[in-house]
Amino acid sequence: MKIVQIKCPSCGTPIRMKNKERIFLCDNCKMMHTRNHGIESIDYEIADFAPGTAGERMYMPFWRLYCDFSIRSKNVERGSFFRLSQWIKGDRDSGMLFVFIPAFDVSLEDFKILSTRLTLNPPHYHTTMNFGGVPRMPVLLTKEEAQELADFVVVTIEAEKPGVLQYLDYSLIVKDEKIIYLPFIKTPSGPVLAV
Amino acid sequence: MDITISLNCPACGGTINASEGENVVICDYCDSALFIEGDSGVYTIAFKNKITKDSVVLESKRWWSEGFKARDLKRSGKVVECYPIYLPFWNIDLKVAGWICGYEEHIHTDSKGNMRKERIPKEIMIMKEYVFTEIACDPGDLGIRNLRNLSGETSFEDFEMIPTFESTTSRDDALQHAKDDAFSRARDSTRLTEITFERLHVLPRRIFLAYYPIWVVRYEYRDRMYVCTIDGVTGKIISGRAPGDPIFQSLAVTAGASIGGLIAAAGILISQADPGIALAAIGAGVAILYVFYRFFRRGSEIIVGDFSERSHSPGEILKEISEVTRKFQRVYR
Repeated sequence: MKIVQIKCPSCGTPIRMKNKERIFLCDNCKMMHTRNHGIESIDYEIADFAPGTAGERMYMPFWRLYCDFSIRSKNVERGSFFRLSQWIKGDRDSGMLFVFIPAFDVSLEDFKILSTRLTLNPPHYHTTMNFGGVPRMPVLLTKEEAQELADFVVVTIEAEKPGVLQYLDYSLIVKDEKIIYLPFIKTPSGPVLAV
Repeated sequence: MDITISLNCPACGGTINASEGENVVICDYCDSALFIEGDSGVYTIAFKNKITKDSVVLESKRWWSEGFKARDLKRSGKVVECYPIYLPFWNIDLKVAGWICGYEEHIHTDSKGNMRKERIPKEIMIMKEYVFTEIACDPGDLGIRNLRNLSGETSFEDFEMIPTFESTTSRDDALQHAKDDAFSRARDSTRLTEITFERLHVLPRRIFLAYYPIWVVRYEYRDRMYVCTIDGVTGKIISGRAPGDPIFQSLAVTAGASIGGLIAAAGILISQADPGIALAAIGAGVAILYVFYRFFRRGSEIIVGDFSERSHSPGEILKEISEVTRKFQRVYR
């Protein structure tokens, strides 16, 4: 067993961090990389706060997966299937969509709420080049785990509609993945998206 | 899990403590992000042996006097060999997320004995964390398959003195076994009669190989050899074989016949209102007799641990009674 100091694969700057996470962001050249299966660079985006946002700010990381989704057959008891055409751009029961997966430490209930809400209503935002001193939550979910969970989110969206899901035959192919840092404001009732 | 490994920061030399199985650590002194690379990608730790030979012998003898073992075992048993070994175990933490859909089936019987089948469709979300352990070598006749304790001090200093069994199973095989086990536990947790749709995902969190100290005690009783193993960290019995007692066997079969007969008879006597009660009582009586008979058959040797043939806990016996009862009722119907 040996221990090595993590350095940026692009510029060689040692990585320093306060919170343990699964990705490493270079303070010098801003490259983000991971080391789960060898060194791999990660594409990321920082969403800007909406103008005039007041309150305590924070950034929460999400994996945004661009997926090709199609349902081949389905069966639901005592209810009806949610019309996928409402949230998939394309033909009924198939098309491309963005699936949002919380990449930070979150309870099961909040994971469900955040992932389904953002997947059904993808946020529109302007990007910024840096965090502007706003604290960010650590990324604790790997890309591979996010890909697995994308599948879970899609079935959750279907299962949580009226009726009882009994069967679903579908395919979900992840075409692209990116970490999106979304801006939030802390409120007494929990974090609120501020784009 | 309460295991820490002491290392030094390559940037500033400061001491860092890493929890087992994690590969990213932050130095408390210089905030450097550090990456732990295991041999061939496998993180390995060894637990420190905390038990002495004398306490192992004492624990063995205490175990001899427990339960339904031969009553003169503590007096006539003689320890022949007592030595420690290191056994390797795979330890895998994983998260299972997904959905299982299907239905529960309930059978309702009215006062006239007419049966009605009710089907309740269900969709169940699974989001659970599991810990899986599995021995990473052939344990021979020791009856050890899993690691029950995952807390203790880690150190490789005993490796020179204690014989060590090398790992013979691969990380990928262990991971596959862990996934299969997690899927099976997730399915069992739903209690569905029939599963019509299942999409589960396993996210392995940590995988490491732990070398664990086990004391092997071989002992003799009436010219026959037996074995038991003691946990080198907690000092508790892990597995073992011990001679049974013919008196307990006889009492078991007598008690089984009496209790089973009484329950069946009582059920028949009070069953005028509902024939289902008589049926259930006869089933329960037969099941109790069967379980006690099994103890009678296997009571010549008391077995504890992960042997293919072993004694059952009271909980397992109760589960077995209910299963046998259900089978009996189905056959009768």
